[in-house]
Amino acid sequence: MIAAAGGLLLGAAARPARAAPAPTAEVEPFYGRHQAGILTPQQHHSYFATFDLVAKSRNDIATMMRAWTAAAARLTEGETAQPISENLAMPGGDTGDTLGMQPSRLTITFGFGPGLFVKDGKDRYGLAQHRPEALVDLPAFNGEQLVAGHTGGDISVQACADDPQVAFHAVRQLGRLAYDVAQIRWTQAGFLANFPAAETPRNLMGFKDGTRNPTQTPAPGRKSIEEVVWVGKEGPPWMQGGSYLVARRIRIALEHWDRTEVDFQQQVVGRSKYSGAPLGGKEEFESPNFDRVDSDGNPVIPETAHIRLGASELNGGAEIFRRAYSYNNGSNFTAERWPPWRQGIEYDAGLFFLAYQSDPRNGFIRIFENMSKLDAMNQYTTHVGSGLFACPGGTPKGRYCGQALLES
Amino acid sequence: MVHPRVFAKIVSLASLALLLGHAALAAEPQGLLGTLRRHSIVTSTVPSNGDQNPYALVIAPVSAGKIHKGDVLIDNFNNKDNLQGLGTTIVAYTPSTKQTTLFAAIPRRLPQCPGGIGLTTAMTMLKSGWVIVGSLPSQDGTTRSKGPGCLVILDSQGSVASVIAGPNINGPWGNMAVIDNGSTATLFVSNTGFGVGSPDGSPPVINKATVLRVELSIPDGKPPVVTKETVIASGFGEQADKDVFIIGPTGLALGPGGVLYVSDALGNRIAAIPDAITRQDSAGTGKDVTKDGLLKRPLAMVMAPNGHLLVTNGLNGQVVEIDPETGKQIYARWVDPNKAQSPPGSGDLFGIAMTENGDGFYYVEDEVNMLVMAH
Repeated sequence: MIAAAGGLLLGAAARPARAAPAPTAEVEPFYGRHQAGILTPQQHHSYFATFDLVAKSRNDIATMMRAWTAAAARLTEGETAQPISENLAMPGGDTGDTLGMQPSRLTITFGFGPGLFVKDGKDRYGLAQHRPEALVDLPAFNGEQLVAGHTGGDISVQACADDPQVAFHAVRQLGRLAYDVAQIRWTQAGFLANFPAAETPRNLMGFKDGTRNPTQTPAPGRKSIEEVVWVGKEGPPWMQGGSYLVARRIRIALEHWDRTEVDFQQQVVGRSKYSGAPLGGKEEFESPNFDRVDSDGNPVIPETAHIRLGASELNGGAEIFRRAYSYNNGSNFTAERWPPWRQGIEYDAGLFFLAYQSDPRNGFIRIFENMSKLDAMNQYTTHVGSGLFACPGGTPKGRYCGQALLES
Repeated sequence: MVHPRVFAKIVSLASLALLLGHAALAAEPQGLLGTLRRHSIVTSTVPSNGDQNPYALVIAPVSAGKIHKGDVLIDNFNNKDNLQGLGTTIVAYTPSTKQTTLFAAIPRRLPQCPGGIGLTTAMTMLKSGWVIVGSLPSQDGTTRSKGPGCLVILDSQGSVASVIAGPNINGPWGNMAVIDNGSTATLFVSNTGFGVGSPDGSPPVINKATVLRVELSIPDGKPPVVTKETVIASGFGEQADKDVFIIGPTGLALGPGGVLYVSDALGNRIAAIPDAITRQDSAGTGKDVTKDGLLKRPLAMVMAPNGHLLVTNGLNGQVVEIDPETGKQIYARWVDPNKAQSPPGSGDLFGIAMTENGDGFYYVEDEVNMLVMAH
């Protein structure tokens, strides 16, 4: 019956005029030493949600996480969140909007926000003593205009897939399983353009984004990606093999950027727009030479360039692993915060910045404290949403995500 | 603190500025501007509460309370949400230590100050240690909800000591000219709020802006008290603006012989008010000193030791040097060539103040919330 209904839909109006590429049948396993969706090769779509806990007890949260884990494992295999019942006199075990679709490399990554441990000064679930030191309250940064409705959350869920509906579907199913325990606080969809595998994807500013991300074969003096991302023995047992996620919704004044000379854009970023090479260099992946000066003695990569201010070698070795998506929330009224203070209907679009690190105090916070004040790009970007989440280590089969914490 | 790596960037900007300066006016370096070579970022002006948009600059004439002689006081017009007319803070930069600290965080609502607090370019510090700062407040970041505001008197710890308000004060806006005799002082303040309404549509130019002379008595250990107020100039254009809040006369500088120079932003001119210290009536909009040319919406203004006026342009990143005796526009220097704006630096400049020894000047870059020194 289910298959018939799906066939009806596909056979009729829903069938596209030209077949789109088939979503991949490839599965990204849910269970493992680390949570998937962090070092997993980046999928093209994401749907991120944070939840506020309204649970009355820690046990309610454990029950939800148990259900979420089971559902997540099924969903990543391309199955429904729960088995479909033949009893039609009740809501379905799945909303059904991905029936017949491939797994699409779906990953679901869970994180715990500060509010799980302490909220409004209250230790609601007896977990305050287990709050990791690294799960700090992010400090206020210069120029940010955080909207309360797009900031924080007690639990984060990041679904990534090569199909947008698969990603949204996953979060939607988990939300259904959380009724009366957790309610959605804010969500954000994201996309990563389908550039050829050999190309570094470009963000909405038209520049390659992620060239200097940590890799498994780091350049001399830099850390490996595992060192950057995973919490080691310095963290509590439930966080070992986990990572800290900083999420920032960064609105980009695209109209302002689009009116800017390309040469000045390059000065802002510190790279050639078209080749991706650092200024003064020739190849995208060569190390930027921050010491190079022109004939007048001025630095070739400006002192306020984005890549300089973000460089690990100039930030005491601080590194983060960026796994960002572009976002596009349509358009709405905005007042730019730079001269000439343009106001009007503008794209509500930009970068949904997602960065993983073993300790945000030595990662994002260390880097962005300086960058938020000095980066020339701040004339085009505004951070409007934010969150920090402790993503536990991976879940072995037979257990549920966060079990070691919730049963501690 | 600003990272020291920034300095070289500014050298780079300075090189560009020189090129542009020559292009703008093909002349050999002259006056003060022609002798300056470097633009150095000094400090971020953003305090911990996130206030934005630095406006007024004042060099402390004495050490008192939290302030050291030679400190640069900078106030902020916008709050952390970048709403104009809601900034409440003054920070102090101490050149000897290179530290920037919060001097004052004025309560957003002061019952004696109609409309609340949004700190403007009108600020001074007296030898007696009192700091006086103007407020042109808004509730929503536009003139739609503006109040008349006031002048707030702060003690040297940054606490509110007294407030000056009344029918002669409505939007005290431009940088103050001051005569400070210790136990008495005279302030010159422009008011740009009379009759200004909503910025919606095409708000009209209203010719009701004034320059008010405020005479103060300063009893020992007590806040200054107003002994007399006189409107000495009036009829300047003022206009609500949805982007820059309000446009009106902004720069005030006293010259020899009691002449007060006024930058008339909408008239795109510098005016002279004769007998400003003694006159008992309004001189109207004064006499033209110079008009148009290199001026592009002149804003804050100071008098340099050489007797020339330095005025910041609102519509590009240039400072213009003027000989007020002859009215000659001597030189324009591109102190903020930021191409994120067009023309470069447009809308970025506002306050300006001479360095303590007079060999350069401080200015603010509103687009990046920085204090910068040209030297």
